[in-house]
This record gives sequence, C-alpha cells and structure tokens, in this order.
Amino acid sequence: MAATADGVADDVRHRWSRAGALAPFAVFTALLALSVLVSLCVGRFSVSVPRAIEILFSFITNPGRAIEAMDERIVLLVRTPRVVLAAFSGAALATAGVALQGVFRNPLVSPEVLGISQGAAFGGALAITLGIWGIPLLAVVFVSGLSALIFVGLLARIDGRTEIITVILSGMVVGSLFSAFVSLLQFIADPNSSLPAIVYWLMGSFATATWERVLISAPGLLIGMGLLWTLRFRLNVLSLDDAEARSLGARPELERWMIFGLVALVVGSQVAVSGIVGWIGLVIPHASRLMVGHDHRRVLPASAVLGAAFMVTIDTLARTVTAAEIPLGVLTAIVGAPVFALLLRRHYRDRSAR
Amino acid sequence: MALAASIIGAGASFSLADDIVITDHENREVRLPAPAERIVTIPMPMASGVIALDGSDSKLVGLNPLSLTAIREGILGKIFPEANNISDAVTSTDFMPNVEALAAVNPNLVVQWGGRGPEIVDPITNAGLNTLLIKYGTEDLTRQYMTMVATAIGKPERITELVEWRDKVEKDIAAKTAAIPEDERPNVLYLGRSLSDITASGSKGNYNAWYIDLAGGKNAAAELEGSVSINREQIAQWDPEVILLNSFEPNLDVSWVYDDPILSLTKAAQNKRVYKMPLGGYRWDPPNQESPLTWMWLADLLHPEVFDYDLRAEMKKAYKVLYNYELSDADIDGIIWTAQQGDAAGYDQFKAN
Repeated sequence: MAATADGVADDVRHRWSRAGALAPFAVFTALLALSVLVSLCVGRFSVSVPRAIEILFSFITNPGRAIEAMDERIVLLVRTPRVVLAAFSGAALATAGVALQGVFRNPLVSPEVLGISQGAAFGGALAITLGIWGIPLLAVVFVSGLSALIFVGLLARIDGRTEIITVILSGMVVGSLFSAFVSLLQFIADPNSSLPAIVYWLMGSFATATWERVLISAPGLLIGMGLLWTLRFRLNVLSLDDAEARSLGARPELERWMIFGLVALVVGSQVAVSGIVGWIGLVIPHASRLMVGHDHRRVLPASAVLGAAFMVTIDTLARTVTAAEIPLGVLTAIVGAPVFALLLRRHYRDRSAR
Repeated sequence: MALAASIIGAGASFSLADDIVITDHENREVRLPAPAERIVTIPMPMASGVIALDGSDSKLVGLNPLSLTAIREGILGKIFPEANNISDAVTSTDFMPNVEALAAVNPNLVVQWGGRGPEIVDPITNAGLNTLLIKYGTEDLTRQYMTMVATAIGKPERITELVEWRDKVEKDIAAKTAAIPEDERPNVLYLGRSLSDITASGSKGNYNAWYIDLAGGKNAAAELEGSVSINREQIAQWDPEVILLNSFEPNLDVSWVYDDPILSLTKAAQNKRVYKMPLGGYRWDPPNQESPLTWMWLADLLHPEVFDYDLRAEMKKAYKVLYNYELSDADIDGIIWTAQQGDAAGYDQFKAN
C-alpha cells in the first residue's frame, strides 16, 4: 500500500517536473498570443474588438479580398505589419542576446557591446543626413553595422588569435567611435528636418511599419534566428572555457565569429527598419533563464517567444497610451531596467540562500 | 492699439545722446551709437526679415546656414543674388555661435534667440559684440522683434507700414471668421514633419494653431501637448478635413498623403484638401515678414465662401513693398507650388488670369 502510494507519488513528481519544464513555454506562448490579439484590437483609431477579429478572420479566409474601408486598412495595413515586425524583432533581439551572453559567458553582454548597434545607428543617421530613405537606407544601415563588426574582428585579432577580452574592448572602442560619428552627424544636421528625424529614429519606433518593411527585414531576422537555433548545441559548448570546448571538438574562434555574424545580421535588419531598441537582448534572456534554466536548447526558444510577447506589448503601449507616439527605447528602458533589477536581486538572493 | 502696444512693448526709443536704445525680449538694454550697418542673424526667420526691413541685402553680413538654404531654395536668392554669398560660418545650425567667424564679419549687431539659455548667448556677449535677444512663437512677439530690428537699422518708419499691414489683415480675417459657426470650421491638421516621422502640435502657444484658428479652422491636433510624434492611426482617428504639410522638407509634396493607404482615406485627401505650405521670401509656416500672405492663402482655402482675397495681387503688392520686386506669374506659381498642387480643392482661385 505504502509502496504503491510512493510509486504514484514518484510518477506524479516525474510528470510534474516534465510539466514544469514545459509550463514556462506554455505560459510564454499564451502571453505572446494574448499580446498579439490585444495589439491587433486596440489603437488610437477605434475599431471594436469583434469588428477587428471579424476583419482578421475574413482576411485569413479570403486573403485576396480588396481592402477598402478605413477600419480594415488600419487593422490589416497598420496594426498587423506593426505587430509582426515587433514580434520578429523582439524574438530576434532576444535570441541574439542569448547567443552573445553564451559566447562571452557573461550575462551583461548585448549587441551594443560589440558595437553593432552603434555601427547600424551611424549608418541610419548618415542615410537620413544624406536624404536617403526606404530600401537604400536599410542597405546603408546593414552595411554599416556589419562593418563595425568587421572592425572589431580586425582590432581584436592579435598574432592570429582572438581573446574574448580583446573582443569586448575592441567592441567598446568601435562602439564609441561610431557613437561619436553619430554625434557629429547630429551636430551638423538640419534642426528643422533631419535632426529630429535622427533623434527620433535613434530612440526606436515601429511607427513606420508596413508590409514592405516586414518583407525587407524578415529574411535577415528569420535566417539569423534560425541559424542561431541550429547552433544551440554549439552555444552550450562555447559556454565552457576554450580548452574544454576544444576538447569537445569545437573550434571556438570560428564558431564565435559565425555567431557574431548572425547577430550582426539580426541587429542590422532590426535597426534598419525600427531604429535602436535597447534592453530586449539583455533582459529577456535573463528572464527566460530564470524560468527554464541555462541549457541553450531551452533558453533560445523561450527567449524568442518571450521577447516577441514583450516587444509586442511594449509597442502596443507606445502607440496607444497617448495621442503622441512614445519612443520605444524610452519604454523598454522604463520597463526593462526595473524588471532587470528585480530579476537580478532575486537571482542572487536565491543563490546565496542555497 | 495693438500696434502702439507692441512698439511700447519693444521699448524702442531714441535717447538724448542720439544713441539707439532698444529693450530686447530678455529685458536687456541694447545701445547702438548709430544705426547698425552690419547685422548678423542667428535665428532662422530673421535673416529674410532683415532683408525685407532694409529693402536690400547690404546690411546682412552673417546668417544661419538654414536661413541660407531657405534663400537658395526660395525666391529670395533670385531677387537678391548677392544674398546667396552671405557668410553662414557665424553659427552652426543649432544656434551655437562661432565667435571667431562672427568677429571676422565685424558686426554692429548680432541677433540671437532669447529664452533658450545662456550657452548660445554668452560667447557673443563675452566677445564684446552687441547682442539683441528675441523670442519666438506669437504674432505679438513677431511684431515686437521686427520693430526692434527696424529700429536698430535706423528705419523705424519702415516697420509702421509692415505692422499696419499685419494688423489690418489680421483684423479683417478675424472679423469675418467671427461670424462662422463652430460646426462650419473645418478640422485642420498641420504636420510639422512628415517624411521620417510624423509630428503635430497642440494649440497652446503654437503659431500654426493660432493662424489655423484665425483663418476659421480648428486645430485637429488640439489634444496634444507641444510638438510631438504621432502615427497614421491617430491621423485616421482625427480624420482632418484639411491637411497642411510643412515647407521645411524639400522632398515632401502632397503625393505623400495621396499615395498613403491610410492618409488617402481621410476627408482631407478624399476632398483634395491637402496643401504644402508655400515657400516665398521665407517659409510660410513660421511667423515672418510675409505672414499676412499665409493667413490670406489659408483663409481663402478654408472658407472660399467668406473670403475672396486676390492672393496673386496681394503677393505682387507685398513683394513690391517688402523687396521692391515685381513678382512674375511664374514666380507666384513657384512659391505656392502650382505645379505640384494646382488641382487641389480651392486652388482654382489662385490661377493666373
């Protein structure tokens, strides 16, 4: 009797632990679905929730239908691409953050550390100053972000070897240099037209989202995320120190640069269409790790889903709270920094309690 | 009355020693031993203002780089070809003076923004240059600083004519719009920026909102505080009956609205009531020497049943007074963008006869 009861208890415990591993994914996915639905139904232009759902449903069942009325255009041409772009960007930035933190074995690393964001920002500011808009702007941003990464690579390579510490220091140097270039452009920019454009763009926004922009950025975001996902085992190995990683058959330096390249692809694609969005790559991986542990096979998908849900929610706030568009960077910092502080405190309290 | 008040407000007077003494917008006493012959203007609209007040470009020796682009993009560079070569090295576009370049053009008077902190003023005064500080934003302030500058260049009689014109047109429009009932006043949205991000302004202390009201419209963005970024969805919600685009962005024209899936469904676009602000001797959006033309242009467009200003005749008359220049029909078409928006609602009335 007692043995049977123990057996049942073990079985339940085992199921619970499996459920425990899956529960965060279920919660994150539910959060994402909810945030997307809410985002599609609310906005400054009033479309009732049933009407918004009806519009979405009729579009899904009959996508070729002409979009005529204003409420249809608002839901399908303004909100939907915006939600899709925000979700992809959030997922991609969180994934990039996980990858960088894994590679550097340092929880405080984000795309800003490698100078990629600043490089991309410089490209954008330069394009705006030169009066370049649309797809050519995206091209300039991407090339500039990638060139920042290449500079870091060249600087960090000493006597044919690249140490982690030289990569971080080179990233700081290149990032500062590109920040200075951005400041210089702001200094000479026309305060009536290009200066506010640069400032606004540096603070990040999905306000300009269109299906065209989704199509432009989606390949980079999805390919980058997909390839980082295929490298999830490598990330686990790279999280060990170099000697251990080599003993497991990895080629740490080459693989690290593959990951940096993918991160540049992801960040460049995102910055090009929505400006610099900070904090996602730092906060989301932490939140995910607290929920699902340190295994990259879990952290990567959990971060992607949570990042998407978070970004969609933030963007919904940005465009609905006031008649004015609130810059994303402001909101991600206001929400992200305290959440990060809380997570950090809880994390270290738990650790010291062990 | 408003005229007298504004001149007293400007505090322009001649002292016994025949010095010209002006109390500026920061309540500083600016003293000139003789009318200024060499003026530098750092605020953007003021450069063309000095040219208009003097009737020539000979007294303006330094200006903001963005004043120079307005001169080159607009018609002033054609009327006064020499103005294309005035030094713009005296300041960066953020109003920070370059003191050495300022000293090099040896000005009697430097006009600078007041109310924007001492950082952009101290370098000029520390260099020992005579500085006049002006404030921006309302019609009263505009009349006051124009009066100050006219006094400084020794042409106080010149301002009377220009302020009287402003006063007369303002009163004439206000008297006619007073009778227009609230529900016949169209919602007008002025977009300060469009291409990179979209901005609109609330009504409080905003000059564009002020002349929208003067011309018998309602500011569609009245709920905003200050000038802020907005999105297309918000514009759809306001559904303005008239959209005004700024004249600061050279690449912007009305097709930006008509080609947009959302904006093209607004009442303004459906009824072809989208207009880019004209660019004449200066951009017509902010207050400047040509402002009465802005008000008449807008009043004609908002209420053609009430107003029948002959804009072309008024422009010809004004340009003769302001710049001693005979405007051609082609000049006028260029200023009011006839080629780009000639088929907009109400633009027929501006066609050349």
